[in-house]
Amino acid sequence: MEIHKETIEGTMVLTPVGRVDSNSAREVEDALLPLFDAGQPVLVDFGQLNYISSAGLRVLLLAARRSKATGLPLSLAGMSKPVDEVFKISGFAKLFQIHADRAEALAAQGKA
Amino acid sequence: MSRLHPPALRLSIANDLAEIGRIAPVIEEFCAEHGLGEEVAHAVNLSLDELLTNTISYGFEDGGQHAIDIALEAAGDRATVTIRDDAVAFDPTEAGDPDLDLDLDDRPIGGLGIHIVRAMMDEVRYARIDGHNQLTLTKLIAR
Repeated sequence: MEIHKETIEGTMVLTPVGRVDSNSAREVEDALLPLFDAGQPVLVDFGQLNYISSAGLRVLLLAARRSKATGLPLSLAGMSKPVDEVFKISGFAKLFQIHADRAEALAAQGKA
Repeated sequence: MSRLHPPALRLSIANDLAEIGRIAPVIEEFCAEHGLGEEVAHAVNLSLDELLTNTISYGFEDGGQHAIDIALEAAGDRATVTIRDDAVAFDPTEAGDPDLDLDLDDRPIGGLGIHIVRAMMDEVRYARIDGHNQLTLTKLIAR
């Protein structure tokens, strides 16, 4: 799958594109978890993601634990309706800092 | 207007995780064509993803190739999905519910898939028939 990586205002921004299913979740895991070794806050921008399964949630749970262990903030932004639905069903919404879009997430991290 | 045969989509896939992404657009197209709506398409695709992932990852102990038969039927106010495979017997309706109130450290790393299927679907039924698992999922259509 297509995954974009960039650094904006000192935050590592990861943007997965399309769908995260059991087949592609490993690619997200390989891209996302090493970001916590760079010593900067991490933002996952879901703005171009229209689908996530429990395999993708598993990767985000691993990332949240990495965030807690390293003290580096992790935030999520730009969830589409189906992605938001899966987060709510799974009780994941309360485990993460979730923002409406990338700009709001970056602004919040700037204030942190 | 009555129909002798409600519209149905029949697919046969191999026990390969890549098949899940391959059938997703086919199901979306069927749902769009028959006016089932994006919500039904998402519920069907997500449920199939979760259930097929379990079956393909853990259901076949011989390492060989197996076929899994999937049908999606739209009749009246409901969409019905059936999944039939010759994997080891597994009844997802008997799986326990995960505790969604646990905090980050206590959350188990797996076990959400079947919970998601139950939440997305209106009914989940299981039968073991002639050495095959047969799952029937029903989703009410808001037309």
